[in-house]
Amino acid sequence: MAGSADIKNRIKGIQDTRKITNAMYLISSTKLRRAKKSMEDIEPYFYGLQSLMQRMMRHFPDMTHPYLRGDEERPESETTHGFLVVTADKGLAGSYNANVLKETGRLMKGKSSRLYVVGEAGRRFFEQRKISIEENFTYTVQNPTRARARVITNTFLKDFEEEKIHDLTVVFTAMKNSLETETRVMKLMPLEKEMPLKDIPSDVPREEFIIHPSPKEVLSAIIPPYVAGLVYSALVESYCCEQNSRMQAMRAANDSADEIVQELKVRYNRKRQAGITQEITEVSAGARSGNLHN
Amino acid sequence: MNKKTGALRIISPDGIFYDGRMLAVIMPSLDGQLEFLPCHEEMITVIITGELKYQTEDEKWHVAAVGGGVAETANNRCDIYVDFAEKPEDIDKNRAKAALERATEQMRQKKSIEEYKISQAALARALTRLRVADKDPF
Repeated sequence: MAGSADIKNRIKGIQDTRKITNAMYLISSTKLRRAKKSMEDIEPYFYGLQSLMQRMMRHFPDMTHPYLRGDEERPESETTHGFLVVTADKGLAGSYNANVLKETGRLMKGKSSRLYVVGEAGRRFFEQRKISIEENFTYTVQNPTRARARVITNTFLKDFEEEKIHDLTVVFTAMKNSLETETRVMKLMPLEKEMPLKDIPSDVPREEFIIHPSPKEVLSAIIPPYVAGLVYSALVESYCCEQNSRMQAMRAANDSADEIVQELKVRYNRKRQAGITQEITEVSAGARSGNLHN
Repeated sequence: MNKKTGALRIISPDGIFYDGRMLAVIMPSLDGQLEFLPCHEEMITVIITGELKYQTEDEKWHVAAVGGGVAETANNRCDIYVDFAEKPEDIDKNRAKAALERATEQMRQKKSIEEYKISQAALARALTRLRVADKDPF
């Protein structure tokens, strides 16, 4: 009965794999919950800074700052586009990585670009295709923290100041609803200056602000944490999506493992029964022939 | 005695640190300490790493170590957005001491301007934390 031993082995193998996928499923769901919690904590701070930014823009529409979009357009041939690409550290998350990388490839096409890749999967992808990515930019995407978002932000803000890049786009994944995820593209730098003015009627008396010590200093103080906040939210969003995709992939794996095990068990039992039946037939046939001789 | 109070919110990325009424708030600004009293003129200002003090309605002073950020006051509401905000009792002195040592060590080495600035900022944070941790407000 070599066949049934093989089947038994396979069942055991699949059950062991299922244990792993099931564990990954559970881990992903806890990680997802934790990431969502830290996202909620940062919200008051982040929205506060955002409204402060808007207020500054409203009061000083003609302010200039290196981080704000200037009036002059740079010709495309002289522009280097920066891309911050957020992928996972490992696969096993459905099409999560593939979607982000595909979108990045589409955006990069025919442009001179500089890539900042977060996550091992993305780095490997570009290395295999011999596309140069920013070195010394080896940040993991596990447990996104504000500190890491700040370091990442400082890296490209510095490159932006030194004109190594002239704009920056973030390619990340966000939740469309609680089930679906979608790849998003966010233009981050330079910051857009125009803010819609029309929602404030002109006859409303507006406060006059003292800006201390100068608008430029204030902007320099607000913009880095503001941008870091945006980066952080992109990291957390992506992380949530990664965990979500992995949960779904693992659930699918669990389900199909169950299915295969079920099928194999039926086959194994059938084989076992066939074996037993055969033995009984043999024994009884032998007994009968013995009887005949007596 | 009924003193005039103003609204004060101190917000850090870890959540809302304080949300309530205040009689006064003193914060570290770029050129020294700056105090906001209730009904302060509308103003936006830059805050640096240092100690922030505020007086609550019961006339008690509280102190906190804060990171850099901005403060905005308008219509008798003061919103302070800082990188971090910690109460003296929440400060991990051992960690701050270790950070202080690390930062001084790094500043002694010859490094790029950027690294120097990072160490300098770390030093400022560590010093502030240590100062605030040992302090009773007034």
